[in-house]
Amino acid sequence: MTELKDCPPLKYYDFKPVEHVKVCPRYTAVLGRSEDDGIGIEELDTLQLELETLLSSANRRLRALEEQRQILTDWQDKKGDKRFPKPKDSDLSVTSRHSRPKKQKLDGKGSHGAGPGPGRPKSKNLQPKVPEYGEDPQELPRNPKNDAPNRFWASVEPYCADITNEEIQVLEELLKAPDDEAEYHKIPALGKHYSQRWAQEDLLEEQREGARANDKKKSMMGPLSELDAKDVDALLKKSEAQHEPPEDGCPFGPLTQRLLQALVEENIISPMEDSPIPDIPGKDDGAGTSPRSQGKAFSVPHTRSLEARIKEELVSQGLLDSEERQGGAGESEDEVLAELQKRQAELKALSGHNRARKQELLRWAREEMRKQELRRRVRVADLEVMEVFRRIMAARQKKRTPTKKEKDQAWKALKERESILKLLDG
Amino acid sequence: MACQLTGYRSGTMALVSADTKIAELLTELHQLIKQTQEERSRSEHNLLNIQKTHERMQTENKTSPYYRTKLRGLYTTAKADAEAECSILRHALDKIADIKSLLEERRIAAKMAGVYSDSDPPRKTMRRGVLMTLLQQSAMTLPLWIGKPGDSPPPLCGAIPANSDYVAKQGDKVAARVKAVDGDEQWILAEVVSYNHSTNKYEVDDIDEEGKERHTLSRRRIIPLPQWKANPETDPEALFSKDQLVLALYPQTTCFYRALIHTPPHRPQDDYSVLFEDTSYADGYSPPLNVAQRYVVACKENKKK
Repeated sequence: MTELKDCPPLKYYDFKPVEHVKVCPRYTAVLGRSEDDGIGIEELDTLQLELETLLSSANRRLRALEEQRQILTDWQDKKGDKRFPKPKDSDLSVTSRHSRPKKQKLDGKGSHGAGPGPGRPKSKNLQPKVPEYGEDPQELPRNPKNDAPNRFWASVEPYCADITNEEIQVLEELLKAPDDEAEYHKIPALGKHYSQRWAQEDLLEEQREGARANDKKKSMMGPLSELDAKDVDALLKKSEAQHEPPEDGCPFGPLTQRLLQALVEENIISPMEDSPIPDIPGKDDGAGTSPRSQGKAFSVPHTRSLEARIKEELVSQGLLDSEERQGGAGESEDEVLAELQKRQAELKALSGHNRARKQELLRWAREEMRKQELRRRVRVADLEVMEVFRRIMAARQKKRTPTKKEKDQAWKALKERESILKLLDG
Repeated sequence: MACQLTGYRSGTMALVSADTKIAELLTELHQLIKQTQEERSRSEHNLLNIQKTHERMQTENKTSPYYRTKLRGLYTTAKADAEAECSILRHALDKIADIKSLLEERRIAAKMAGVYSDSDPPRKTMRRGVLMTLLQQSAMTLPLWIGKPGDSPPPLCGAIPANSDYVAKQGDKVAARVKAVDGDEQWILAEVVSYNHSTNKYEVDDIDEEGKERHTLSRRRIIPLPQWKANPETDPEALFSKDQLVLALYPQTTCFYRALIHTPPHRPQDDYSVLFEDTSYADGYSPPLNVAQRYVVACKENKKK
C-alpha cells in the first residue's frame, strides 16, 4: 500500500526510561532507605549527578514527545482540512478501516478541483473521476505545504497570458512619447573658461579675506593695512595681465605657427632656399618680432587678422580645405563639445533603434490581438460543434437518425470552424 | 541566607542552626527522591505502551488513523508525565543546591570566625593532592543546566559569559589575573572575598595558598567561572566550539593558560579536550588534555606573552 508516503516522518523514538538500578546506584540505595536513615551530606554530590542524569533524560524525552506529538497534530489537521468539504464521504466509507486511508489519498488528489460538488452520490464514483482531474496540471496531487508549483505558474503566467488592449495602449503611449530627447541634443552656449572663473573666484575670496584682515588690522596698525591694500591691487593687476594672452601663451594662431615652423626648419637645413609663396615677406615681419625666446613680452598686434589672412590665402591656394579645417579645429579645440556630439549621435542612434523596436512590438501585438480574437472564435465554434455532436449522439442513442436540420447544423458548425482555422493559419 | 548574618557574629551558633536546617533539607530531599521514583514508575507503563505501539506500527508498516490517534493520546500522557517528573527532579536538585550553599556559607563563616571543624581542616595545611581532588570534585558537581523546552541557557552556563554588570559573590571561584613576584602576569584560580562597589575592585584569595596571599584586583582582571555545566545533548550552542581560544586550568595546577579547544564534551559529565599553548612542542601546542567545563573560560584579550 502507498500509505507510507502519506505518513509523517515519525521517528519512533525509544522512550525507554533510564534504568536507575544500573545507572544511578546511589539514587537506588537512597530509595531503599527508611526516613530515619536519611541521606548523608557526603552523598549529595553523587546524588546530584544521578538526579541530573535522570532530569536530562526526562527532559530529552519531553522534547521528543512534544516534537512527535506536533507532527501527528499537524498531520491530522492537514487531513482534516482536506476532508472538510465532504464529510459525507467518510461517513459512507467508515465500514472498513482499511479503505479509509486509501480513499483519503484519493480525496487528496481531487479535492482542489471544481468538480467535487455536493451532488456526488457515492464515494465509489470518485475513482473514475480522478484521472479526469489529473489531466489539469494544477490538480496534480502534491504536498500542500509545497506551493512551489503555484509560484512557478504564477511567475510564468504573465508571459503566456493574452495581450490586452491596455498593453497595446501602453505601447502606443510609449511610441507617442514626446521627444524629450530634443533637450539632450541641444548644445549649451560656451561659458567662461574655468581657469578664468576660478581665478576670479580666488581673487574675490582673497579680496574678501583681505578686507576682513584689514578691518581687524586697521584698529591695531594703520600703515600696514594700506600696504595690504596695495598688495592686493598689485596681485589683481598681475593676474589680469596673466589672463590677457591666449591660453597657449602664444599670440599667433595655429596656422601662422605651423607655417612659420615649416619655414624655420627649412632655413636650418638649407638657409639659402626661399619659398616662392608671396606672403612670406609679410609673415616674416611678424615672425621677426616674436621669437619664442623673448618670452612674455607679447604685444604683437593684428595676430588674429594675420591668422585669418593666412587661412584665407591657404584656402584660396587650394592647400587647405576650408570645411575640413573648421571641423578639425572644432574637434581639437573643444574636447567637451566633441564628446557631447559623440554622445548625442549615440543617443540618436539608440533612440532610433528603440523606436523601431517599439513599432515592431506594437505591430506584433496588434497581430497577436487579431489572432486572439480568432482563437476565441475558434473556441466558440468548438463549443458549437461539440453541442451539435452531443445532440446527434443523443439522437443515435434513441435509435433515430439525426434530422436534416441537425445535419445541416453540424455541417454549418464544422465549416465555420474550418474557415476560422484557415484564417488563423493564414 | 539568614545564617550568613549570624555567622559573622558567632561561628559556632551559625554552625548549629545551619546543621538543623541542613538536616531538614536532607529529609525533604529524601522525600522528593521517593516521589521521583513514584512518578517514574507511574509513567513507565505508558512509555512501555508507546514502545509496543511503535513496534506494532513498524512491523505493520503503516499508520492507520487508529494508530495515529492512539499514539497521539499516548504521547500526550507521556508528555504530562515527563513534565511532572522533570518538575520533581528540578525540585530535588534545587534542594541539593540549597544544602550546598548552606554548607558553603558554613565554610565561609567558619573561616571568618577562625573556627575549623574536623571535616574542614585549615587550608594552610592542605596538601596539594587533596586540593587537586577537591577542585576535581567541585568541577564534577557543578550543576548541569537543564532548561525546559524553549528556554535558552542563562549567562554563566558553559561558555556563555556573565553579564557585563555581573558581580561575583563571596566564595565564588574566579580566574584572576595577578602579577607574580617575578613580574609575570598569570591567570590563577581564586576565590572572591569581597567586592568594593566604589572602586570596582575585587579582593580575592589565591586558591592554592589560601590566607597567605590576598589580591586586590580591578574587575577587568576577574573572569567568573561558569555556574552551570552546559548539556551538550540539548544546548551545544552553550559550549565552546572546536579551535576556539580559551583560558583553561592546566591539569594538576591552579593556573589558567591559553589553549585551543580540541573537542567539546559530548555528554554532560565529559570534559573538554584542549591543546595548551606550549612552546616546548614543535607545533606550539601540547597534546590534548582534559579540562572540566567549570575550568574553561573565554579568553578575553590577546595577552602578550
